[in-house]
Amino acid sequence: MPHPLRVSGLTAVLSMLVLALAACTDRTAQPTASAGAGDEGGTIVISTAADAGSLLPTLVTSITDREVTDLLFDRLAEIGYSLNTVGDKDFSPQLAERWEWASDSMSIVFHINPKARWHDGAPVRASDVRYSFGLIRDSTVGSPIASLVSNVDSVSVRDSLTAVVWYKHHVPEQFYDFVYQVVVVPEHILSNTPGAQLKSADVTRRGIGSGQFRLAKWEPGVRLELVADTANYRGRPKVDRILFLVSPDYNAAATRFFSGEADVLEGLRADLIPKMATDTTRRVIRFPSLNYSYLRFNAVDPTAPSRPHPIFGDRAVRRALSMAIDRRAMLRNVFDTIGHLAYGPFPTASSLADSTLSQLPYDTMQARALLNGAGWRVGPDGIRVKNGRRLEFALATPSSSAIRHQYAVLIQDALRRVGAAVRIDESDFPSFTAGQLARTHDAEMGSYNPDPSVSALRQSWATAGIGGDGQNYGSYSNPVVDALIDSAMTSFDAARTEDFAHRAFNRIIQDAPAVWLYENPSMAGVARRIHTTRIRADGYWSGLADWFIPAAERTARDRLGLRPTP
Amino acid sequence: MGGFLARRFLQAVSVVFSVTTLTFVLIHMAPGDPIMVALQSPNITEPVRAQWRASFGLDRPLGEQYLRWMASIARGDLGFSFSLRRPVHDVFADALPRTLVLTGLALVLAFAIGIIVGVLQAERPGGSRDRGLGRVLLVLYSVPDFWLALLALVLFAYRFPVLPAGGMVDPVMHDYLTFSGRVADRLRHLVLPVATLALLTAAGIARYQRAALLDVVHADWMRTAVAKGLSWRVALRRHALRNALLPVITLASLSLPALAAGAVFVERVFSWPGMGNVTVTAIAARDSPLVTAGVLLISTVVAVGSLMADVGVALADPRIRVAS
Repeated sequence: MPHPLRVSGLTAVLSMLVLALAACTDRTAQPTASAGAGDEGGTIVISTAADAGSLLPTLVTSITDREVTDLLFDRLAEIGYSLNTVGDKDFSPQLAERWEWASDSMSIVFHINPKARWHDGAPVRASDVRYSFGLIRDSTVGSPIASLVSNVDSVSVRDSLTAVVWYKHHVPEQFYDFVYQVVVVPEHILSNTPGAQLKSADVTRRGIGSGQFRLAKWEPGVRLELVADTANYRGRPKVDRILFLVSPDYNAAATRFFSGEADVLEGLRADLIPKMATDTTRRVIRFPSLNYSYLRFNAVDPTAPSRPHPIFGDRAVRRALSMAIDRRAMLRNVFDTIGHLAYGPFPTASSLADSTLSQLPYDTMQARALLNGAGWRVGPDGIRVKNGRRLEFALATPSSSAIRHQYAVLIQDALRRVGAAVRIDESDFPSFTAGQLARTHDAEMGSYNPDPSVSALRQSWATAGIGGDGQNYGSYSNPVVDALIDSAMTSFDAARTEDFAHRAFNRIIQDAPAVWLYENPSMAGVARRIHTTRIRADGYWSGLADWFIPAAERTARDRLGLRPTP
Repeated sequence: MGGFLARRFLQAVSVVFSVTTLTFVLIHMAPGDPIMVALQSPNITEPVRAQWRASFGLDRPLGEQYLRWMASIARGDLGFSFSLRRPVHDVFADALPRTLVLTGLALVLAFAIGIIVGVLQAERPGGSRDRGLGRVLLVLYSVPDFWLALLALVLFAYRFPVLPAGGMVDPVMHDYLTFSGRVADRLRHLVLPVATLALLTAAGIARYQRAALLDVVHADWMRTAVAKGLSWRVALRRHALRNALLPVITLASLSLPALAAGAVFVERVFSWPGMGNVTVTAIAARDSPLVTAGVLLISTVVAVGSLMADVGVALADPRIRVAS
């Protein structure tokens, strides 16, 4: 099973040190207790803002889609809490009970657990793995994850329980590329529907998977009910039932939680924390996430992309504006004590994160000096001018985010103090993303939620991410950064990958293509009777099957048992 | 009467056509690509987005999309919602009855309350009851609908939790209740949204009713009725009220758009899964088939309601029939 990566003794020691440090700084919600005998049963009602759209993992587009499909469907193997994407050592078996690497690492043989069954009783077969991959690669399907499996050449079936995944290149994340992205779906259910019709086919709403929960009832826009698959090959989940209650308005969702109608409130807002402090029936759980938010400067002129931006094309100006922003004070202002500072172009829950990297200081004197040096002189109204152009720009922000709006106002005030005028340009989310794609924003209040892979860094901060499908909306480009990111992506040595990534982070921070502001505190409100487990940063629901409600703490709805839903 | 009806019908059809066409154009002209909204992940490539656009016909010129949409409407096909991944017809089949229940009950309750309060005020204009009720009505008429809904929610679902916080039924227990229990559960969930919507609408109706009654109380026939021995209160309720109902019937049609708009907020706040919630979600997702079909449906309901009110007024008042 282990991947034949060479790991030197020094690397191993370093890795252990890094892991130990990571463990010390881990903000993961810890288990509140261990489930004991008789703790099986109960109902968890989750108040959620949006309904699912598709229950076919190949076509998931929203966070709710993913949340539900992750509970209904299994992968070949599951990533660990470290979210380490290199090699296979942090993965544990799911549908594949074991796997073997070819000696040249160009293929991996997965042995399917013979006990694995679909929710309709049919056995999970190796041909399902092949079909699942084929579905993602089928251009008529339009799978949103198609680009993520581009390194996989094909999947062949050796026998009914053995699938072989063949790769085009031997890369550090090749195991992750397949097992994390390819969720195995049932061929016998889906194969009668042509790929082009899958997006609108009813079959994608049936949710027949192999996970520990199965779909019991879905009233679109109202509720979605999952029940325990008691005969699951991985064992039944601790609770009987999970119910997603759709409340598009946040206040309504919160009231349903505080009135006891719901047990879990997703995305608990900071202003509700004080209310929870004295609550004897509810508590706050905090968990790591992969989200970080920033103020991004556009390095090129939105009206003439071949030219540098008249303000932000100058590295010194970007650094000056960064130094004029007191990120810690703003964090305190917006989040009080619960915020987390963003340290660079990475979330701190990432396995590559380094919060000790040197940051640009908050220093308004130095900021003014840099602006003076760059030729921006203070005009009669206090706004700086250079060659007849005022140091004035629009800061795009989506109206859907109150936090980003708050930050925009604070930034407007902070930059005015050093002679820069900011116009807050608020628009609805579709308009905001349209501006991002067209690169028409001067500056924007952005937020990024990358997957755990190193390659996410390339998409958003390397030259490869400029234009087209890239997420480098500020068109920041530095060949040294590009080289460092490419080296990080291709290194098989975990320590070297980390070193390359940290050097890339450092370069980016010093070039100041953005000001990294905060990591959205990931919190949920949870009824105290529900005992949670450790939570993974890529989705709080990853451990839901192990959440439990002790028998003594159950309410009437917990005691319904697994009677069939009428 | 036949000509009158035909003219009003044609007017209603042209209003519905204009409103839906304008909505179709506006939703397509609004900045933001619906497929980009749906497929935001950084890993999604442009060919995939292009494939989705082609799947839903969004890659066609606007004029062609409009003609195709009109053709499908003519066939009774309302299109496919790409944000909810369901046929629009199915979405409406779920949502419309829920909204009709909500707004229908609210409308009936609003008229009952509005007429009763209007009569109570008009019985002694300028008296303490009139002034007191007038102030309450003014407050209800002035408060934003979402604010009243939120207030009701916080008060009766959280502070004094006597009513459910949202939804149409208890999400977990409803299916396991007895028949009478299920009926009671549904009624409990109706109280807050219906009462909120009804109070907001009743405020306007009561003011109209009071004014209409005060317009007719000085008529000769009222003096005659009182002179023949009827008490003022009986004369007001038996004779004046009938004559003063005409403006309120007209108001019924005028209330429909406001009721539909109010239902959007009330549904949102009380997590009522009706047309209002669907439409707001669709607008945010730039889901043009759903938005346009929603507007088509709502404008048709409003136009039909308006037409029915005109017919009702014409039937109730022969002078209008003669004039037309």
